[in-house]
Amino acid sequence: MNDMVKMVVVLTVLSSVAGGVLAAVNKGTASQIEAQQLTFVKGPAIMSILEGSTNNPIEDRFKIADGDAETSFFVGVFDGKATTIAFEEFGKGFGGDIGVMVGVNVNEDKLVGVAVTVHTETPGLGANAKDKPDLVSQFKGLSVKESVSVTKDGGQINAISGATITSRAVCVAVDKALKSYQKIKPQLQQEIQQFGK
Amino acid sequence: MGYFELIIACIFVNNILLAQFLGNCPFLGTSKKMETAVGMGMAVIFVLVLAGTITWVIYTFILVKFGLVYLRTIAFIVVIASLVQFVEMFLKKSIPALYAGLGIFLPLITTNCAVMGVCVLNIDKEFTFLQALVASFFYAVGFALALILFAGLRERILLARVPKPLQDTSIALITAGMISLAFFAFQGMV
Amino acid sequence: MPKTLVQEFTKGLWEELPPFRLVLGLCPVLGVTTSMENGLGMGIATTFVLFGSNFLVSLLRSIIPQKVRIACFIIIIASFVTIVELLMQAYTYPLYLKLGVFIPLIVVNCIVLGRAEAFAYKNKVLYSMADGLGIGIGYTLALGALGAVRELLGNGSVTVWGDLSYNLSSAFPSFQPFSFMVQAPGAFICLGLMLCFINAIGD
Repeated sequence: MNDMVKMVVVLTVLSSVAGGVLAAVNKGTASQIEAQQLTFVKGPAIMSILEGSTNNPIEDRFKIADGDAETSFFVGVFDGKATTIAFEEFGKGFGGDIGVMVGVNVNEDKLVGVAVTVHTETPGLGANAKDKPDLVSQFKGLSVKESVSVTKDGGQINAISGATITSRAVCVAVDKALKSYQKIKPQLQQEIQQFGK
Repeated sequence: MGYFELIIACIFVNNILLAQFLGNCPFLGTSKKMETAVGMGMAVIFVLVLAGTITWVIYTFILVKFGLVYLRTIAFIVVIASLVQFVEMFLKKSIPALYAGLGIFLPLITTNCAVMGVCVLNIDKEFTFLQALVASFFYAVGFALALILFAGLRERILLARVPKPLQDTSIALITAGMISLAFFAFQGMV
Repeated sequence: MPKTLVQEFTKGLWEELPPFRLVLGLCPVLGVTTSMENGLGMGIATTFVLFGSNFLVSLLRSIIPQKVRIACFIIIIASFVTIVELLMQAYTYPLYLKLGVFIPLIVVNCIVLGRAEAFAYKNKVLYSMADGLGIGIGYTLALGALGAVRELLGNGSVTVWGDLSYNLSSAFPSFQPFSFMVQAPGAFICLGLMLCFINAIGD
């Protein structure tokens, strides 16, 4: 009986101490981990869109909640003014969700660039959406009011040959991004003012 | 990815032993005799299907829901260890015939990284419940297949004259390399 | 005759050098040694866990009841593994991505559980720490060595932490990288041959 009590007590105490320590470590490292993930997973895409900005867009970020989902916005400062934001949207591709980072100039209401962040598309076909600039370069300069789609669907974007579904998914993601941009534009303009001096 | 591709990928292309290097301790430890290899293979199939699905449910419905994702490692190993204990007790009482066959292999499975590995892979690859179930079963089938093939080869090696430094584990690893080379041909199929 | 602290430490470097002398913990040895940097990183992570779990198991050995000792070991080990996971994500994210599934799998590495059961549960704290550190460093060196051989033959060059690098073609201009070595089958064969080599000089 005594043994039994001791066993239960030891196991319980050990588990709760372990849980407590882990919770503390998790809390202590959470922000650092977030920053690392942003730098290495989304960083390259953000940097390619906000190329030439004088700040560090990964540090200069803010969040806006839309319903349940929370989106991070990365701010690019050009010539001392915070004019451009980049944020991520998703579209359903051939192998799963495709993440697309979309950059918009808030003053001119124009797309400054698009880059693929994550995908699980076929190497050599759909993966070219990320590996080659052919598709994503076509978005540059489009107005945010346009609705974006591939030429097959009557739009303005030439799909990658052999990867229509992927190209369509990227267009859907960009289109979604532009729609939500228009919806929250006033809020964005307000938030963006705290950056850039 | 369709289920057919998933099955081929799990058994051959991403074979858990030969392409992902998980579960190599029992691979070398229990492959000296055909009989033990078959027993181990079956025990892994049995436990992995249970562990793969249960950890998926726990991860999705408890850890994610309460924001405890960082406890994944500790939760999975506790689940696997207690599952193995439970299966052992259950088999002993209810199906003694099966226990006689698999019993001695069950404790070894707790530290078999193929089991833990597949549970973690199911989460990392963001499988649905059904995909996780199928993947767990066929990863285990791939494990059993490689183990049994390897045991057949090792029984033959016992009869051969092997230079002293190469004996036992060393020649076994090189042989495993040869089988791995054969499985390597499946690379790029899916 | 009881061993001294130094002996407990050095035995991990040769007499009981894992994974060659103690054939345990093979999965990461095969899986992550595609480059020297990965091998060393994995080794250091394992050493941390081994050192921590040996220390704590030994410290608590009079409190932990015999019957549930394995469960206690597993909780202690899993906690250290999770700490390593979080720390690596926070400070060495690219390495964490490369090692992937093998970091949580330290928890089922037979060496760690094996040392807790066979050594730390029966020995004093200082000795257990020396044992853990010795075995861990031996394991790290073995992983690093295997990684170096595979990377050198498979890529023709070895790079550690971005700036320390050695290019084989500077010594042998006609050398062609043998990419088989960094692929799956090469792992088994390379480890088998290294084991053979260690056996041969050990005798």
